[in-house]
Amino acid sequence: MAASLASKWSRVGRSLLGGLGNNLSGLSSTSHEMASGNFLSQQQRTFIQMRTVLKVVDNSGAKTVMCIQPLKGRKVARLGDTIVASVKEAMPTGKVKKGQVVHAVVVRAAMQHGRFDGSEVRFDDNAVVLVNKAGEPTGTRVFGPVPHELRRKKHVSILTLAEHLA
Amino acid sequence: MGSQVLPQALHWIPRSSTQCIPSKRLGFSTVLSRGPFVSHGVSVSAKPIGWNLGFFVNAQVKDSFVVRAEANEEAEANESIEEEQNEAVQAQGDVVVAVEAESEDKVEEEEVKAPRKPRVKLGDIMGILNKRAVEASESERPIPDIRTGDVVEIKLEVPENRRRLSIYKGIVMSRQNAGIHTTIRIRRIIAGIGVEIVFPLYSPNIKEIKVVSHRKVRRARLYYLRDKLPRLSTFK
Repeated sequence: MAASLASKWSRVGRSLLGGLGNNLSGLSSTSHEMASGNFLSQQQRTFIQMRTVLKVVDNSGAKTVMCIQPLKGRKVARLGDTIVASVKEAMPTGKVKKGQVVHAVVVRAAMQHGRFDGSEVRFDDNAVVLVNKAGEPTGTRVFGPVPHELRRKKHVSILTLAEHLA
Repeated sequence: MGSQVLPQALHWIPRSSTQCIPSKRLGFSTVLSRGPFVSHGVSVSAKPIGWNLGFFVNAQVKDSFVVRAEANEEAEANESIEEEQNEAVQAQGDVVVAVEAESEDKVEEEEVKAPRKPRVKLGDIMGILNKRAVEASESERPIPDIRTGDVVEIKLEVPENRRRLSIYKGIVMSRQNAGIHTTIRIRRIIAGIGVEIVFPLYSPNIKEIKVVSHRKVRRARLYYLRDKLPRLSTFK
């Protein structure tokens, strides 16, 4: 119990650090190794960074993308952030093709995201919605639940397309 | 506002201006909360304000205490101050003269006073504060007994979504007890994706918690549900 609490708090602490320090990506990778060696096998879910493969949950044509860079000068991306990504897999008939570099908004993250009332939300997968440079979604439908955090980040257009609001 | 005290304070023995009174001394705060003091031209209002401003004023506050104690030696209303100040003074391990003078007064007036409450230890403070906060929250909205394995429905007021209450249903995966920040973790499959949300039980945003059903589980934390079929985490 104490160990699980400690790992939970260390996770929260690490998420608070997000965006600070050049050693952050090193930190997150080592923490992941440590966590898998932990006998309690608490899953340490960390940020979305370069080389992270994410699922695309709109009907823009892409299936998976790989993150190239988080935007806004951040070192890592979290729920609600925008990233630059490269399309890895795409439907043959779609608006985007494989290898294309696109912008995307993270709508589901496996890392817990704290809210202002003390609650935390986490999803089972990492998912994005492709957007253009202005922030408007490329597709016309969004599948799966999306969190309220998008409203704060001014992605209201994605919220309106969503099928469920978590 | 220490300057309000100064004209008279300067005449008295200037002592312990370098001392710091630890702000955690509950004895101090109980003094401030007791009834109106007999004023001797030294303004009473200086003390509470001084108290809020922190260490550097406390030295002056303490001077004012000393001032008052010596000025009002004959006033029996000040036995409480003297007694508390006595402890403060003794704990600082500093003043000699005033202590002797005041300890005699204290001995005389102790019989008159009601029996003292037990001192609150430093280690108990968080527990007491947490208990108070929990009781305050419970009086406004009682929380049912929630255990791991319950299927609960929570009605939450989200400030961003002010129109109506959000409803969250799911199985309680864990309950972490931490006083006022006692949390429960709810898991549910929403639109095909598993979502886990941690709710602080005593949050004022939670308008209603209802236990819908219970599933027999043999664990305190149901993290295994993440690897299982989505069917096990689906609740209509």
